[in-house]
Amino acid sequence: MSAYIIPIILIVLIVYGVYKKVNVYSAFCQGAKSSFDLVKGIFPYIVAIMICVALFRASGLGTLLVQFLSPLFNVLGIPNEVCELVLLKPFTGSGSISILEDIISRYGADSYISRCACTIMGSSETVFYVSAVYFAGSKQKISPAIIISLLGGVMSAVLGCLLCRII
Amino acid sequence: MLISLCVLIFVEPNLIINTMIDQSKNVVSLCINLLAIYAVWLGILEIVDQSGLGDKLAKLLSPVIKKLFKINDEEQIKYVSYNLSSNLLGLGNAATPSGIKAIKSMEKDLKHTKFAMLMLLVINSTGIQLLPTTIIGLRASAGSSSPSDIILPIIISSVVATTISVLLLFAYKKIKKI
Repeated sequence: MSAYIIPIILIVLIVYGVYKKVNVYSAFCQGAKSSFDLVKGIFPYIVAIMICVALFRASGLGTLLVQFLSPLFNVLGIPNEVCELVLLKPFTGSGSISILEDIISRYGADSYISRCACTIMGSSETVFYVSAVYFAGSKQKISPAIIISLLGGVMSAVLGCLLCRII
Repeated sequence: MLISLCVLIFVEPNLIINTMIDQSKNVVSLCINLLAIYAVWLGILEIVDQSGLGDKLAKLLSPVIKKLFKINDEEQIKYVSYNLSSNLLGLGNAATPSGIKAIKSMEKDLKHTKFAMLMLLVINSTGIQLLPTTIIGLRASAGSSSPSDIILPIIISSVVATTISVLLLFAYKKIKKI
């Protein structure tokens, strides 16, 4: 079912464009052209942030943080096995996908642990990546928003684990 | 970053430059991917824009956006409404370019848009997704008996967490008076 939704939306959008006598071809090209500038603009900032994240993980500080925080997460009802995922999700999208795959293959797709992991994965975003991309080159102070987003991520993880136990 | 570097110097000094360059390579290939993805979505966005559909969408969502973001500028409202609606549809790749454009347009008018920028970041990084397709796919390929029964917990927890985060940001606004 869900495979059809996006194509249908696209068809509707393009047909509407034709109906409104828009030159669909040149409009598309015009939009696609701006993709270069956009990526050029965000590239240096993603490089910087991603290097910080990689160094943080390579130095072992990441594991240290997991060890330090997992007792706290256990109190909140997040199982030990998914703590790493909760903590890594804000930093790296691809890294957390590989952790999720690992959890699923180790515990089975229908186990409580993997259901928790899937919920955590689906209900939060890679906060640091999003903020690097959106605020590339901006001088605006965004630390309060980042802190709130991280808190939100933990909240959704706690709630997700709870819901997985009930549903 | 500095702390990580200091630790690494003691643990494994030759890892430092390798990690940095490896990651930089990753980002280059990521950016090439993004270039392709954004080209497609920005192209489609331009069609939506020129057909006037964008303005209709903006008009439809503007009461909500005005309340949440406290902005009045038409261009900003339009980009924010693209961003929100593609997020809801689970089109993260379409949401990002419109989000960047929204921020760029808010930058021009920093006095009035500080709060809106923070709000956009919070909403985008707590992420409401109605159709978590990647995860359902992963579960299905791992042999789950009902891969899509994860949708409900995901939606509930992300909606609740996003709502609380938005409320927290409003509280912050009140305290700091931005």
